[in-house]
Amino acid sequence: MGFYGWFGKTLRVNLSTGVISEESIDPKVLADWIGGRGLGAWTVAGEVPAGCDPLGEKNKLVFATGPLTGAGVPGAGRFSASGKSPLTGTILDSNAGGRWGIRLKQSGYDLLVIEGVSAVPVYLTIADGKAALHEAGEIWGADVRETNDMLKDKLGKYISIACIGPAGENLVKFASVMNDGYRALGRGGLGAVMGVKNLKAIAVQGSQKVEVANAEKLNFMVYEAGKWLKANPITSQGLPEFGTPVLINLFNELGVLPTRNFQGSQFPDATDISGEAIAGTMTVGRKGCYGCPVQCTRLIKTKNGNIVGPEYESIWALGPECGIGDLETIVEANRLCNRLGLDTVSTGVTIGCAMELKEKDILETGPVFGDSAGLLLAIRQIAYREGDGNLLAEGSRCLAEKCGAGQYAMQVKGLELTAYDPRGLQGMGLGFATSNRGGCHLRAYMAGPEALGVPKMVDRFGTGGKAGLVITQQNISAAIDSLIACRFVNLAVSEEYFARILSAVTGVEYQTQDLHRIGERIWNLERLYNLQAGLDCSFDTLPSRLLEEPVRNGPSGGRVVELKPMLDEYYRFRGWNESGVPTPGKLRELGLEELKC
Amino acid sequence: MLKDFQTFGRDLFLAGLNSSHSGNLSVRCGDRIFITRRGAMLGHLEERDIIETGLDKNDSNIILASTEIRVHRAIYKGTAALAIVHAHPVHATALSLLDDEIIPLDSEGAYLLHKIPVLGVEYTIGSQELEEKLPALLKEYKIVMVRGHGSFATGQLLEEAYQWTSSLENICRIIFITRALKGELKDKRPAEYIEW
Repeated sequence: MGFYGWFGKTLRVNLSTGVISEESIDPKVLADWIGGRGLGAWTVAGEVPAGCDPLGEKNKLVFATGPLTGAGVPGAGRFSASGKSPLTGTILDSNAGGRWGIRLKQSGYDLLVIEGVSAVPVYLTIADGKAALHEAGEIWGADVRETNDMLKDKLGKYISIACIGPAGENLVKFASVMNDGYRALGRGGLGAVMGVKNLKAIAVQGSQKVEVANAEKLNFMVYEAGKWLKANPITSQGLPEFGTPVLINLFNELGVLPTRNFQGSQFPDATDISGEAIAGTMTVGRKGCYGCPVQCTRLIKTKNGNIVGPEYESIWALGPECGIGDLETIVEANRLCNRLGLDTVSTGVTIGCAMELKEKDILETGPVFGDSAGLLLAIRQIAYREGDGNLLAEGSRCLAEKCGAGQYAMQVKGLELTAYDPRGLQGMGLGFATSNRGGCHLRAYMAGPEALGVPKMVDRFGTGGKAGLVITQQNISAAIDSLIACRFVNLAVSEEYFARILSAVTGVEYQTQDLHRIGERIWNLERLYNLQAGLDCSFDTLPSRLLEEPVRNGPSGGRVVELKPMLDEYYRFRGWNESGVPTPGKLRELGLEELKC
Repeated sequence: MLKDFQTFGRDLFLAGLNSSHSGNLSVRCGDRIFITRRGAMLGHLEERDIIETGLDKNDSNIILASTEIRVHRAIYKGTAALAIVHAHPVHATALSLLDDEIIPLDSEGAYLLHKIPVLGVEYTIGSQELEEKLPALLKEYKIVMVRGHGSFATGQLLEEAYQWTSSLENICRIIFITRALKGELKDKRPAEYIEW
């Protein structure tokens, strides 16, 4: 059958045998799982044993585009990568913008499955349906920028590259995969999975057109979505002018900006590292994903030339979380992470954890809070697993537990938490605790309703009704991550528009409730996988600090996360039993009855 | 200031000049603007619903500000206004879809507002076109209708801008009723005054 939006093809690359093959994808699978995260979860659940070693031969890397990728929809130039996380042991997906996803799609593939382990370091090239493996001898050991430069010299400047840096090669558990130089599949350590497979880079180029079922309807919906993007101050002013760092001052004022390993929730130097400070002193331009009008990426001027500026989460992790209020240090730390191929969030939070362990004399060596030079040194040591960096490279949970002080690791399921103190955002606390990939804010962006009024403002300290909101956010996020559309665009353009856009592109009729149902199916599949991997309900929790230590002062003063009542409600509303296991009835309802826990 | 926002926000809602989540209010204080939060319910405003941001320059609060912030800024920069009320009065909005200007028939309406221009634009919400065209009209008129969208009224105080909004809707109700009655109008005003 002819496809609209999808090509209906998988490219499979077996690194152990060197065999590269093409497969068709069942149209029903595409309609049910859409693309991106959904298609990735479906593939991982079917092909990667839940009990396998994430850094063993059986784990796979699944790159997926979505039906909107390359179809001319604003904010839909993204792709995702899925697998089993070496940091958490959970099912994992991570997505990124840039050009790479569009190039992969234009090569004619919805899915790229990498399996096996190469005997020697290699890189993969894909160009319009032709794929080949090449020895990577000369680029193995190079950092991300050097790798990009070397491959572009060899393959041409229009090629798009996803690669790992030294951190991935050295199997740092939170190594990222970097694409287009500065974009990151940051969370969960897929860079280490790529590293253990001896795969340094994937270079893609394509010129195939993505066919659209109803171009007239799509044009109208894009026009309508454009009106919302232009009208909403978040997407028309805040993000274009300040990027995501626009959130620093805002969340600091609310008392939800964690500092010094979540010991505090307000940072005295926040103004100095805010979006306004960057815009006023460093920004020289802006850019964004292909075809996106928001253009939220900022180019900043540094002593190392013009580079892409840090995002909100990165500024926080490498700044307030480590007690550092010096913008130049944060920018340099971010640059280092990007070049070495490290997740900025896990890097910062793990170093923050080490700083607290040092502060409490549990660790004898290492940096202390506010130590800029120590931060930069620790980043290098982690990437190359040198000295103390070898232990830090395992992540905060492993670090703290090895020190007999697991309570100081600010993580959920092994994934370091992000820049929101959930003691001042109760729903975010539930979202963190129940996230299928661990401490991630994007699975259910409860800061939307709890702080930004998206879609509506709710009481951030209240717990009643939060379970229902978290579930809705989790489900719709799973669907949006499968299209794949940008969450920032989703701040201004509701899922109703995305359902219509998806229908126009694919010719398959989707209503808003279909997106919710598909998201719910993805969420339950991920949950089943995690249960099979041994992550039961005891992992649906938060660090004890957030449950027991009230915020000392400020607007969130005196608060802890009241998780238990929200969690009980959450399981019930999800149609799971009290142990957090999806009931047979729920699985039947979602068409997942053949899967067992 | 919060009390004023609450009073006039509530009155706008209770008078049917706004639906539950529509409309916005702002005041200018020097180089700063205080504006209602995007999506706030004007009938139930709280402290967190009043957002302070710059007249010229954005800051982090911009992402909380009303969708119409750019229009409010343009009005403040292009007029002497110190307060703005944006509302969605039903009769005035309906009339704006039929007429190019609204001319009061009643004497109070004529005395207070004389004539209300109707501005038609492609993008009616938070748009650059409104930003460019509204201030010039609001230099001449106290209140302007954006076709099919709603009214923008200015004043030195919120109460003043609220008054023009309330008057406009009253004017439009009278026009509707008289048109419905289909009788001959016995207007005593001189023609040149009507055209003024």
